[in-house]
Amino acid sequence: MTVTAERPAELTPRRPDRGPGSRADGWIRRAPLLPALVFTIIVTQLPFLFTIYYSLQSWNLVRPGSRQFVGVDNYILVFTDSQFRQVALNTVLLTAGAVLFSLLLGLLFALLLDRAFFGRGFIRTLLITPFLITPVAAALLWKTVLFDPTYGLINFVLSPFGAGDTDWISTFPLTSVMIALVWQWTPFMMLLILAGLQSQPHDVLEAARVDGANTWGVFREVTIPHLRRFIELGIVLGAIYLINTFDAIYMMTQGGPGTASANLPFYIYQRAFLGFDIGQSAAMGVVVVVATIIVATFALRLIFRSFSGGEET
Amino acid sequence: MAEVEFDQASRIYTAGAKPAVNRLDLEIEDGEFVVLVGPSGSGKSTALRMLAGLEEIDGGQIRIGGRNMVGVPSRDRDIAMVFQNYALYPNKTVGENMAFPLKMRGVPKEERASKVRAAAEILGLSEYLDRKPRALSGGQRQRVAMGRAIVREPQVFLMDEPLSNLDAKMRVSTRTEIAAMQRRLGVTTVYVTHDQVEAMTMGDRVALLKDGELQQFATPAELYDQPANAFVAGFIGSPAMNLFTLPVSEQGVRMGSSELALPRSLRSRISDAGLSTVQLGIRPEQWTVGADGNGSGVKAQVDVVEELGSDAFLYAHLDDGEQTPVVVRTSGRSGARRGDQIALTPTSEDLHLFDPSTGERV
Ligand SMILES: Nc1ncnc2c1ncn2[C@@H]1O[C@H](COP(=O)(O)OP(=O)(O)OP(=O)(O)O)[C@@H](O)[C@H]1O
Ligand SMILES: [Mg+2]
Repeated sequence: MTVTAERPAELTPRRPDRGPGSRADGWIRRAPLLPALVFTIIVTQLPFLFTIYYSLQSWNLVRPGSRQFVGVDNYILVFTDSQFRQVALNTVLLTAGAVLFSLLLGLLFALLLDRAFFGRGFIRTLLITPFLITPVAAALLWKTVLFDPTYGLINFVLSPFGAGDTDWISTFPLTSVMIALVWQWTPFMMLLILAGLQSQPHDVLEAARVDGANTWGVFREVTIPHLRRFIELGIVLGAIYLINTFDAIYMMTQGGPGTASANLPFYIYQRAFLGFDIGQSAAMGVVVVVATIIVATFALRLIFRSFSGGEET
Repeated sequence: MAEVEFDQASRIYTAGAKPAVNRLDLEIEDGEFVVLVGPSGSGKSTALRMLAGLEEIDGGQIRIGGRNMVGVPSRDRDIAMVFQNYALYPNKTVGENMAFPLKMRGVPKEERASKVRAAAEILGLSEYLDRKPRALSGGQRQRVAMGRAIVREPQVFLMDEPLSNLDAKMRVSTRTEIAAMQRRLGVTTVYVTHDQVEAMTMGDRVALLKDGELQQFATPAELYDQPANAFVAGFIGSPAMNLFTLPVSEQGVRMGSSELALPRSLRSRISDAGLSTVQLGIRPEQWTVGADGNGSGVKAQVDVVEELGSDAFLYAHLDDGEQTPVVVRTSGRSGARRGDQIALTPTSEDLHLFDPSTGERV
């Protein structure tokens, strides 16, 4: 936050020329931080500048000597590439779908875990487990153990009903990936919302009951407003992680069939390391970074609004 | 409006443990202001919450307007409650907070708004209706909580220490406001406090609890003049009543080296009860102070003088070998000083006598 209040000049303390508080002293005290700053710039900003530089070149690794400056041609190609648009849409669908469904399921489980029942600690541990599994392993689990057309458990369970011969992953590629992601992310949402539920003041809930609210009324009028900030946080954090999903797609579908289940990170990876088209993929990367910054700015604003809003005292 | 009855009502939190409220019997009349008072942990809040439907009734019955409340959820009891920490809805404005009980009962929007405006007018909250509770002072929040209770015109008001978060001055003024408002609305009210001054000043009748048991249920004056047992005698009144356990003698009781003569009526009550020792209760204002040396009275030495202007309290100890502490009220600026030797004589005939083994009034 910037303080813009005007101050009379004589109130601003004058900087001494030497000793504590002087300009030289300031540099001496900040100098030890300099290596960290330089390192951060090298690691985060330089690669991005290089990416921008590459994105202005036509450069395919399999055609040596083809490298030349082409200006914004790569960007024009990105925006006219129908596959890129399809993949961008996939990314939005995958992220939004996975966040939404894991949030709803998380809310459901959190509400169940918020009440006392026998074996609650054990059930809670079981429900958290998916979040602790390595994403690659989780994707493999869904692909081979559950979705596999010949020996997957889902078809095994469905076969008595005469419906056990679907090849789930190739028939519903994006949905399959989404299901695996929802399975992994539900515990996260559940924990977040459970923390919210358990931080509710008891007397407010009791006041609502005395004031005539039934269970649904208490939930809608008191619990949901209280949970809003927790839900917002879940959406933002979930979206930040899920927009970068790579492992699940790589393991389950390889983005296929075609680009039916590819998202932006996976598509860029394909273009750079399978298509060897450095210029094109660099341009896509820049577009994605810019889009992400725009979205993230709104997301961060949401987070800050949630936490600086100040709640019940 | 309705009468409220506790009929042998009990609450047992953990099976086998002592009940938090044990076989409580109270008959509260329509429109009456009843205060539940008692030391911490005596079961006041529990009793109130049983009436509110926030705690189970494990034994006996509670009736509101003659209707048994066992198993009836809070929302169907037609009560309104003011909580100690106000329990306002943090995400709703003051107006929405006050309108909430009406909204939950399906009162149409215009009617809600007009009722909230009227209540806000009475409570001086009109200009805060659009604010969130967090932007209010403690006293204003307290009034919002009151407003939320009165807009609904319930059968019974329940209040659990609603003044305990206010400063001393606010507490005194709000105390009178609440009492006046209750008289005006005529709604049966059950009010919990641990402050005996609040209990004595506000209640039509006061129920004193200890360890979940009802000690006495009476008007404030009766509670003060006719305490049913030594606990009530010690709890009500500030400073507390002086209680001495003394051997009975010919003319009265022995107090240290001297003998304290008791009137015939009291002596006959002791002999009727067949007691050889008795617990004698004397309120601070039931003493006269004489200078030491004129023979009569119990000798004592002043430790502390608490000068309050209109009157003064002397905290002294008796010369009985055990330094038994005693509190005496005298008129203000009596000139007593620390270290003074004084002689104390009970003024009044209606001293309090209790059986030392049971604590019951003799
Ligand atoms: N949820 C609970 N579980 C078990 N015991 C409880 C519970 N709530 C209260 N108790 C016990 O019941 C007894 C009465 O408690 P209660 O809250 O009614 O006291 P109180 O008179 O309101 O005291 P205070 O003046 O401190 O508020 C206490 O001994 C307390 O420990
Ligand atoms: Mg209490």
